[in-house]
Amino acid sequence: MGIIDVNHLSKQYFIAKRQEGMWGAVRSLFHREYITKTAVEDVSFSIEAGEMVGYIGPNGAGKSTTIKMLTGILVPTAGEVTVGGLVPYQERQKNARQIGVVFGQRSQLWWDLPTIESFELLKQVYAISDQQYRKNMDTFTEILRLDEFYQTPVRQLSLGQRMRADIAASLLHDPAILFLDEPTIGLDVVAKERMRTFIQEMNQERGITVILTTHDMADIERLCKRMILIDQGRVMYDGGLSKIRDRFGKSRILIVDLEKDTDIQVEGAELIRSEGNRKWLRFNREEITAAQLIQQVSDQADIQDLSLEEPEIDSIIRQMYEEGMSVR
Amino acid sequence: MMFISSWVRGTRLYFHMVAASIRAQMQYRYGFFMNIIGWAMSYAGTAVTMWVMLYSFQSLEGWSFWQLIFLFALAVLSWGVCVIFFFHFRSLDQYILNGTFDRFLVRPIHPFFHFMAMKFDVGAFGQLLFSIAAVTLAYIQLNLHWPIWKWGVFLSAVIGGTFIQGGILVLISAIAFWTTRSERFYWVVMFPAKSMMNYPLSLYPRALQWVVTFILPFAFVNYLPALLLLDKTHPSISPYWGAFSFAVGLVVFGICYRIWMMGLNRYKSAGS
Repeated sequence: MGIIDVNHLSKQYFIAKRQEGMWGAVRSLFHREYITKTAVEDVSFSIEAGEMVGYIGPNGAGKSTTIKMLTGILVPTAGEVTVGGLVPYQERQKNARQIGVVFGQRSQLWWDLPTIESFELLKQVYAISDQQYRKNMDTFTEILRLDEFYQTPVRQLSLGQRMRADIAASLLHDPAILFLDEPTIGLDVVAKERMRTFIQEMNQERGITVILTTHDMADIERLCKRMILIDQGRVMYDGGLSKIRDRFGKSRILIVDLEKDTDIQVEGAELIRSEGNRKWLRFNREEITAAQLIQQVSDQADIQDLSLEEPEIDSIIRQMYEEGMSVR
Repeated sequence: MMFISSWVRGTRLYFHMVAASIRAQMQYRYGFFMNIIGWAMSYAGTAVTMWVMLYSFQSLEGWSFWQLIFLFALAVLSWGVCVIFFFHFRSLDQYILNGTFDRFLVRPIHPFFHFMAMKFDVGAFGQLLFSIAAVTLAYIQLNLHWPIWKWGVFLSAVIGGTFIQGGILVLISAIAFWTTRSERFYWVVMFPAKSMMNYPLSLYPRALQWVVTFILPFAFVNYLPALLLLDKTHPSISPYWGAFSFAVGLVVFGICYRIWMMGLNRYKSAGS
């Protein structure tokens, strides 16, 4: 029995079928046909108090839908979910007191007001005591340097400042559980690191259970020991990071822009994508170094430009399918 | 006891949020004042148009100029109060579209209450300025001397009218829970019905009168109370109906609020 328990959770949407043409449009006025879209299917997992779990998957995988069900925004079609002993969509207000949510790009602060006023309003909304408020504001201000922009209206804040304010706001009422949806997206390198440090500190020092949704593998590697991978509504992997790292963390992708479209054959690397002059080559950096690979390519064709990428979740998942790794 | 204390807390929270909304609007100082003055002048303009019309015809459906001004101003008065509290419901579809509505569902307060407390439209004071002035002028010009009970009817008309129009605004906004765009319904349904009420109901075909009395009961906002307050009559409706604006307002708002909550449930089942 973890602090979060999800059992065979499913969510289906009914989307009205679009009929073709004019006649179809008229018909749909009288008789609607519905297609079932399954966003989340038979998802089960359990998270213990104090864990920090990465919840990842490609776009449209069902991440946001799951998070919405955990926070009480959406009602599941089937299955059970308990958060801190409560069923979120049944006891929404009670659940709201024990969770904090950061919606990534969408701020929860009052747009036109000075930042500090949002905090003062939240103090009222959550009925936070003066003492608790002072204590938290002092801590957050010290670590996140909120005092730099207390008086600036939220709409005038830079993305980095706004994210700092948003995460502080989500923790103001001392929730036991924190849901972070893309907390580092769009931030520069320094800001990302600062954000990650803060999240780690909150998890370690306050024992806050954190569920982190992200596209940035570096977030996961830095913060999470455990990762749940969801794709097409199903849990594809739920386990430690080291296993993934061992199998897939060594692969890199070399993107080369050739002078002209050439068929290149390279040992130790796989051509995963080709668009005209641009080739994507995946290789295992333990088997061949980037330098060696570049050398081989330039032996066969003239390179105009190149770049090196770490694998993204999407390509890891693709690889997982290819190598048949689907672990519940 | 718990119930009462949560009401007290709710009221205090409402005032805090409303104060915040007012401060936010006052930031745009120039716009703030222009907004108020603009609205006051816009309504004054309509009144002048009425005066011009009546210059030739002397009376409309048995209503003299100052009686018509009273009728018009009474509508604007409760509309003004309604705008202050409910006008921002029109933008509910934007919140849903942008995904910013979800914040109301992750906070430990009632989402309708929260959404309602987001804005307290101070610009509507322009309407209030005009309507209070116009009602006062009409009262004087018509030599009215109301006993207490008529003041009661007046108050019931203003409060009831706020609830009736507010309820319809809430109802139209709830459309956003089912489809995405709700704003156009305001222009297609509410605005015409409201505009109709600026003139005596007897002007319109019976069917339309019936709709505006029983379906979208805007007649209770100004026309029916005005009948009672100005000692006028209507061919088929008794002026005493004008005393029931408050009750009608409560019923209408109650129904619209329930439908809004139904829409919210639908949003929680179907996403967006």
